[in-house]
Amino acid sequence: MSMDVQKKNMNYDALVIGAGIAGGEAALNLANTGYKVLLVDKELSVGGKMIMLSKVFPTLDCAACITTPKVSEISRHPNITVFIGSEVGRINKLSENEFTAQVTRKPRYVHVEDCTACQLCEKACPVNVRDQYQFGLIGRKAAFIPFSICSPKAAAIDIDNCTLCGACERACPTNCIDFTMEPETLELHVKTIVIATGFNLFDPMNMPRYGYGQYKNVITALQMERELAPTRPFNTILRPGDGKVPDRLAYVLCVGSRDASVGNPICSQICCMYSIKQAQLLMGALPMADVTIYYINIRSFGKGFEEFYQQAKGMGVNFVKGKIGKISEKENGNLMLRYEDINEGKLKETEHDLVILSTGVLPNAGIDRLFENEKLSLDSFSFIGQSDMLASPAKTSIEGVFVAGTATGPMDIPDSILSAGAASSEAISYLIQHA
Amino acid sequence: MADLHKNSAKILVFSTEKISDPAIDMAGLLKLHYPPTVYTITIPCSSGIKSSWILHAYQKGFDGVFIAADGSDCVYGESCTEKTGRLVGKTHELMKAEEIDPARLRMAAICSVCSESFVKQIRSFNEYLLKTLHP
Amino acid sequence: MKKKKIGVYICHCGGNISDYVDVEKVRQAVEGEDIVFLAKTTMFACSDSNQREMVEDIKVNNLDGVVVASCSPKLHLLTFRNVSVRADLNKYTYVHANIREQASWAHSDNKTGATEKAIHLVKAAIAKSRYAEALETNKVKAIKSVAVVGAGVAGMKAAISLSDKECDVVLIEKESFVGGRVAQWDSLSTTTETGKEMISRLYNDLIKRENITILTNSEVIGNKGSVGNISLTIKKTPRYINGSCHPEDLKRAIAICPVEVPDEFNFRLTTRKAIYKNYPSEYPQTPVIDLKNCTRCGACEKVCPTVDFSEKEEILDFSVGSVLMATGFDSYTPAYGEFGYATLENVITLPQFKRLIDTQYGKLTYKGKEIKNIAYIYCVGSRQVDGENTYCSRNCCTSTIHAALTAKSKFQDINNFHFNRGLRTYGKQEILYADSLRSGDIYLQSYEDGLPTVTTEGKKTLVKINDILTNGRKMEVEADLVVLVTGMVPRADNSVGSLFKLPKGRDKFYNEIHMKLRPVETVIDGITIAGACQGPKNIAESVNSALSAATKSYSILSKGELETDPLVASIDPEKCTWCGACEAACPFDAILKVETDQKVIAEINNTVCKGCGMCAPVCEPDAINLIACSSDEIMSMIDALA
Repeated sequence: MSMDVQKKNMNYDALVIGAGIAGGEAALNLANTGYKVLLVDKELSVGGKMIMLSKVFPTLDCAACITTPKVSEISRHPNITVFIGSEVGRINKLSENEFTAQVTRKPRYVHVEDCTACQLCEKACPVNVRDQYQFGLIGRKAAFIPFSICSPKAAAIDIDNCTLCGACERACPTNCIDFTMEPETLELHVKTIVIATGFNLFDPMNMPRYGYGQYKNVITALQMERELAPTRPFNTILRPGDGKVPDRLAYVLCVGSRDASVGNPICSQICCMYSIKQAQLLMGALPMADVTIYYINIRSFGKGFEEFYQQAKGMGVNFVKGKIGKISEKENGNLMLRYEDINEGKLKETEHDLVILSTGVLPNAGIDRLFENEKLSLDSFSFIGQSDMLASPAKTSIEGVFVAGTATGPMDIPDSILSAGAASSEAISYLIQHA
Repeated sequence: MADLHKNSAKILVFSTEKISDPAIDMAGLLKLHYPPTVYTITIPCSSGIKSSWILHAYQKGFDGVFIAADGSDCVYGESCTEKTGRLVGKTHELMKAEEIDPARLRMAAICSVCSESFVKQIRSFNEYLLKTLHP
Repeated sequence: MKKKKIGVYICHCGGNISDYVDVEKVRQAVEGEDIVFLAKTTMFACSDSNQREMVEDIKVNNLDGVVVASCSPKLHLLTFRNVSVRADLNKYTYVHANIREQASWAHSDNKTGATEKAIHLVKAAIAKSRYAEALETNKVKAIKSVAVVGAGVAGMKAAISLSDKECDVVLIEKESFVGGRVAQWDSLSTTTETGKEMISRLYNDLIKRENITILTNSEVIGNKGSVGNISLTIKKTPRYINGSCHPEDLKRAIAICPVEVPDEFNFRLTTRKAIYKNYPSEYPQTPVIDLKNCTRCGACEKVCPTVDFSEKEEILDFSVGSVLMATGFDSYTPAYGEFGYATLENVITLPQFKRLIDTQYGKLTYKGKEIKNIAYIYCVGSRQVDGENTYCSRNCCTSTIHAALTAKSKFQDINNFHFNRGLRTYGKQEILYADSLRSGDIYLQSYEDGLPTVTTEGKKTLVKINDILTNGRKMEVEADLVVLVTGMVPRADNSVGSLFKLPKGRDKFYNEIHMKLRPVETVIDGITIAGACQGPKNIAESVNSALSAATKSYSILSKGELETDPLVASIDPEKCTWCGACEAACPFDAILKVETDQKVIAEINNTVCKGCGMCAPVCEPDAINLIACSSDEIMSMIDALA
């Protein structure tokens, strides 16, 4: 593999790092006002976490249905160049209005423009691995289309798992599979940068007392999102342990949030609402099931949220104020939840057959290390620091570098859109003022 | 065509670009089958359908007309539901005047992901039409 | 009219279509149609090679239009419109047929049926293609200027941001001073800057910009036109102060003024005179005479030469391309007797409490009595079970804890008791809650069915609750001061909102187009909403929304020209007899009543019409058709499907 940096003459007005809903919105705002944008994402599709969701609270719009038009607008926009499967490397600020950034494009081993997403390579591929885009609920091939509504809708070869048997190449009707592709690192010149690198979810393996990874019927809420999505892997809700349709489900809130013992004392802002949303969807999908939400405080603070919470109560979702101490597994795969029932002031134990952990929002660390000659400050929780938090929330410690969405801290989709609007506004102003 | 009619009635569906047509598309994607003599014409909003179009369809031999309405999701505003309802009412009157069974015109709100509901509605409409028109 | 020549392409889609639909049979069935010049099948219609072939076909054969029968138009309508454009055809001559989602896949159980249906669908598309004309997008000149209504923190930030983008701004404030709610606060959470300092910083930035016109004491009273060119009429009430007033003169004028009215700036905790300024560094620096309450005694005129009662109300006209609404919120006023409000003398609201601690030093007193025990009752006017305000007001939990902590650090021996319904210090605000617990604040909680009560026993004011955090134990606090944590409610005066016909949500705040993805745009083209007029927000959230709205307003106007979709309604002037039914049906005010030489008819404002078609069915003489969805087109499609 050649690691030479190609100094192609590539100039863009703005580099947007992260093509989730915040990065996408920022890129569109910049592009719609005439600026040339390079949008970079390490994943194989535009759309970030939102495109993977089932429905959104409190409107219960299908997430895919409202994301895909936005995603295709991004992909089609004449002023936006999208580098998917690519990572940003070293960034240097040469002067106001002048940054250099290295971007490494990892090979997809598929010529996207020729791929018609016919799925014949998938059928031909003999390799089976866990599908990361379904959060490990099912398997996929090594030659695969990431997920049904991904953009670009094209196959990719997972080279780490590929056996190089050549079956996909032979099956491809348009000859778009190409194993000779190599990674390339480009050096770009840009005038402003928007960071929209999003968040990571708390890994519940770090809380062994909840048994995630050990008990099969303890899953994360993101896995439940996939089970509820229109493009869901199964046609119904199943628990992974034995494929049984669950009928006593429990949500455990604040897993990895508001918990200094795991290093994250802040509230993740979205877990209450996505859990309530899932509970409502479950009541629809499994009308006979009992759904219980174990919470500390319900934080339904946004527009229409409180009404949505009350609606869930009205539908029969059971809300129990209490923090789960420990989960243990029974022989039949059911789970015993031990908790202090705050209302009754006593310790209790309840049996459920599927437990969903509402894991919290953590920073997507590392971006600050890319800035070589100026310091990108972080806040005390390792989110990107806001240099003028109230009056200019999108400004960072580096002039000309702006931040959008959950890279600054937990927030929901509309707040991410607003934050992206602010970041693009600052970036446009910066471009005009330093033209 | 004749044998097709044995178990499927001829139905014209008016769908809407942003709301109900995506649901009908998704019914296909999910391979939720419905009679192949169900044809869709897509328009921007269900409240823009003229009675004359519906009556024309019966004249041309359609057994039924189904309006896959926007309902409260309409991108053009909340008045859509009421206006669509009104035009259905008006068309029912015109159908009665021409001695066409008003039940041959049906309307249901189909949201952008209501694929299952669409197919259910169409299947039940089909059964009704077959029972009354092609017994 | 010359007969059209079109090309038809039927896609295999790998096998997605051709496994169930006999595409060759479809091709044969349609190739004989009179306008079909060529009909082909293709493995992948969307592939680059086929797109190139289509361009070639169109050019070589001088085709007038194309039909592609493939997947859903949601996926590739634009792809093939672009192919048409590359072959020098107008994009609206392209017609799409969906034979995958609505034929091969939907009827994968019935190949004959699927093929039969595909043939009909393609024939219907050909029928539509007969009518598909070249259309030009409507272009309107856009004035690169934005009116920002409301000069609170959201409006001020939006104005600065637009000015940075070289856009002219007229910033319109109804009150006499800028700064809105933030100017009323001293200490703010997460920063050492006070609210007043923040407003001063923004104002000093605003006034140095030549492309911003600041109008205080001003209200929008007229609105004409549509996006790109909106004419506003603005009424500007005089300050009755001419020029800059010497501070000493002003002091004397204020002292001598005999009028005392409740001071809204301090939420009626105090009174002010008819000539006033709310605080020394307030902007604009000129004081104002409140003529509604002034008795015209003339006393101030005698001590301050700049007082000038001859100033007249002005009516100003501005033309702008877009309007950004940042009209803010009102604080909820509790009902008479609600938790002792207005019936007990030591019950105040949160905004009053914030002004109280901001304006006092040394000891905290209220009505002459020293305050030590403070009871905060949360969710007053929010999350109502019986009232209209079912929503959570979002910011009050954090705001209260911040105020309680400020009181504790500023005054001695303060004990805070928080009677809450579940704390909502979301995100990083959680740290403030943790600080408060650490400082010894007491939290007592109830649900909506067991709200605390405020009663008196002799001279004591008692707040009682069955605290769910201690197993429902009866708790009682003797409070020196009861603070009702009142939330944000929509502005009572909605005159400017009605003027622009802004829709409201069920919470009565202005409604966005889409709650998730389009939170600052409204269904009225060119009107954006920012800050708390859209729903409760804290300062940072208001600023984010203000900058977002500024970006949206700017991007509409940045090119100096607007393009609007040509797929609008059209009126046949011969048939129209003007009955007004279409005007009543139109949700966008796109229909105008016009007089021609002979008669009065309806006319469509193409730049406002969104092409929904609601006007068409209500037209008795059937004079209205939607372009590209006319009766002729629909009926011919029905003929083809029959």
